[in-house]
Amino acid sequence: MDVDVDAQAMLRVAGGDRAAFASLFDRHQARVVRFCMRFVGDRARAEELAQDVFIKLFRSARAYRPTAKFKTFLFRVAANHCLNEVRRGEYRVEHTVAERPAEDGMPATEPEDVGGARPDEAMAGRELERAVQAALAGMSERERAAFCMARFEGMAYRDIADALEASEAAVKSLIHRATLAVAKAVAELQAGTLPARSRA
Amino acid sequence: MSCAYEEDLTAFVDGELPELRAAEVARHLGGCAACTATERLLRGAVVRLASLPDVPPASPALRRSVLAAVEAPTWRERVDGWLRPRVWVPALGVAAAAGVAAVALRTQTPEGELDAPQLELALALEVAEDYDVAGLTSVEDLELVAELHELEVQQ
Repeated sequence: MDVDVDAQAMLRVAGGDRAAFASLFDRHQARVVRFCMRFVGDRARAEELAQDVFIKLFRSARAYRPTAKFKTFLFRVAANHCLNEVRRGEYRVEHTVAERPAEDGMPATEPEDVGGARPDEAMAGRELERAVQAALAGMSERERAAFCMARFEGMAYRDIADALEASEAAVKSLIHRATLAVAKAVAELQAGTLPARSRA
Repeated sequence: MSCAYEEDLTAFVDGELPELRAAEVARHLGGCAACTATERLLRGAVVRLASLPDVPPASPALRRSVLAAVEAPTWRERVDGWLRPRVWVPALGVAAAAGVAAVALRTQTPEGELDAPQLELALALEVAEDYDVAGLTSVEDLELVAELHELEVQQ
């Protein structure tokens, strides 16, 4: 299973094996970038954060014990780094991705290009993305971190609790508040009561 | 919403509640309109979130920069490198040779120049001879000058 492969690779990384680290990077870069992207809402900053996360992962390889799930260890590094950087003001959480002046009736703020969907699907996807990102920007950093791990990474509450060094009860509460906030934003979007521009 | 079950609804939707508590919440939902509405809202959002387009993959530049950063030796690796016998044994040899050379150079003086003890003696003699010219007044002074001259001969 992947977990064993990752744990073994991590032990080799602790011994200075750069090739093992490259394989870990290739397997996990997408989820780290996604987590950072959801956390700060900006692609370029997400890549900067992801770079720091992987460098920290490499440097902390000696601290890794195979008794801990690799993914949980990785997300502990990622969450700690993102929370610290945002707290010390290094990254302002924007959730507005690519800004441009309003023209031709288009909204002033566009979310990331999210793939090759049909125009109507792409528009619906952008609207949903914008609503979710606005809700994410409005919650606490720990709520956002817990929410992103649960919703976008499919992590169990117990693993999120390990990653955030919190109790499962606390994580349950964080995820509930965050999910409720997002659910309300999505419901408003569906009801058409939340204009796109005001959400950005 | 102030229902005591409300905090558990997301965990219920996620299947994260212990079995007994989940059964309790399920029973509660049968009789609480507010919690039923919230549960529906949460469940709908979870489904919608799953349909969000994925974040595009990382740029190739990220891979390059991360791998370049870890290729650079860490401080620990540098220190470990310096402490390897094949580095420090020759280094120690070179340092020892340099030390010996430095000591040898310090003890050698160029021809015609005096080293520190010689210079001190010469100055003492000069003073004594000045007294000699001016007229020595005691036997002890004469003996001192004689001793100084003996020292000069020995050096």
